[in-house]
Amino acid sequence: MRRRASVVLLLLLCAAVIVAFQVTRSAKAGSPARVFVPAPKFFLDLSPSYRTSVADVYWLYAIQYYGQHVRGDQRFDSLPAMLDLITQLSPGFKQAYLFGAFALIDARRPDLSYALLERGFHNNPQDWRFPAYLGFFAYTYARGNHKDLVAAQWYAKAAAVPGRPAYVPRLAATLIAKGGQRAKAMILWAQIYATGDTYSEQKAVSALDQLLPAGKQARMQAVASLQGTMSPAQFNDLIAALFQGYR
Amino acid sequence: MRRVLAIAGNTFRETIRDRVLAVIVLFALSMIVASLWLASISLGQQGRMMKDFGLVAVSLFGLIVAVFVAASLVHKEVEKRTVFVLFSKPVGRTQFIWGKFLGLAATMLAVMAGMGLFLFVVDWFVAGHPSGWLPVAVGLIYLQLLTIMAVTILFSTVASAILASVLGICVFVAGQLSHNVLSLTGLGHGAVLRGLSWVVFVLVPNLSAVDIKASVVGEGAPDWSQVGLWGGYLAAYIVAVLVLASVIFRRKEF
Repeated sequence: MRRRASVVLLLLLCAAVIVAFQVTRSAKAGSPARVFVPAPKFFLDLSPSYRTSVADVYWLYAIQYYGQHVRGDQRFDSLPAMLDLITQLSPGFKQAYLFGAFALIDARRPDLSYALLERGFHNNPQDWRFPAYLGFFAYTYARGNHKDLVAAQWYAKAAAVPGRPAYVPRLAATLIAKGGQRAKAMILWAQIYATGDTYSEQKAVSALDQLLPAGKQARMQAVASLQGTMSPAQFNDLIAALFQGYR
Repeated sequence: MRRVLAIAGNTFRETIRDRVLAVIVLFALSMIVASLWLASISLGQQGRMMKDFGLVAVSLFGLIVAVFVAASLVHKEVEKRTVFVLFSKPVGRTQFIWGKFLGLAATMLAVMAGMGLFLFVVDWFVAGHPSGWLPVAVGLIYLQLLTIMAVTILFSTVASAILASVLGICVFVAGQLSHNVLSLTGLGHGAVLRGLSWVVFVLVPNLSAVDIKASVVGEGAPDWSQVGLWGGYLAAYIVAVLVLASVIFRRKEF
């Protein structure tokens, strides 16, 4: 009896130590900004049959890494290498390009963001979202007098891709036409929202929320100008997201 | 043929009742379910994650079943001396090897069909639409595993069960890297190294040629004519390996 009691006691003690260690470790452990990311060639040579599975594992890792650092130290030293690995192992992984393009902006690397989207378009020429994103990134993050023209050229390419929504051809014309920068930016963010990608939608809602006036009437008038840039269902969802907290 | 089928039937009944097999299959199914959790943290990529990790689980757990059961098939009969009872009847050693292979192939068919159907249904539930390529991918994994089973049975005729299992796994890994060996044949400076690389390239089955996992997750359509050709190659490889195993087993003294 006493022996059994001491075994149970020992078991409980060990369990307590394990739990205590794990709890304190998770509280203290920080995620390093620079982590080891193997070269894509390593996996392409070593596991061609499992290359997409490796890309998926690194995709989950990249999301965790981004999530930890975007709320913390804002350092994304290894993010470019991770995205490069994922998209080289799985060139058709569209979400990786689209998410990566925005994540690399947070990493203050718009050059890599642009290059990533260009590679995404090269590997997935049938997807209109890549030239549309490139137009958006050229307009929003590039500098210089010709950025409107460059963005319009990308939208013209997006308009030429079969299956693109009806509003895309109008975006090129919008950029070339005269108008306020804020109005153009709103239309482009609305277009990013309309791509239907979950992460892009969140980014667009957040950006539009900052661009739009705070007053309810003024906000409603401004939002009304976006009506033709997306499907009615998407427009209703956008209104619901932008008017949260308004009565 | 009737005798081969009788041995195959017995082998099927024997292996399908194996508790280890049930445990491994249950573990594989739980891994597929665990993929659901991974899918939920994938930022909208549930369908892709489910298919990819599910197929990896089917492939790796199928490999464990194929290798460990195949390695013990012949050995168990020899160790338990039941092989003497069998050979006292009009049953040839070649028929014994082919019967054992076909029996285990039937068991593997049941295992893979079960795991494949489960993955198909779970993926349908997660992605919202059925994936027609998933059953094809599972079928091609089955073909790869049949090849490894044949190779493991060959090894088990000349080595212990554990060694045969290890070698079977090694051939599976090498089979995924077949194209690398081909690259080596071009790198070698000496004729001996080039010749050796060619021998290894020819001997190791090219398993990656019938792998369509990447296509299932949206990496472009597979070249079906190539997949068909390489499928035929693997079928021929299986026959050649089993003939070799039969020849060795016929010369074996107990």
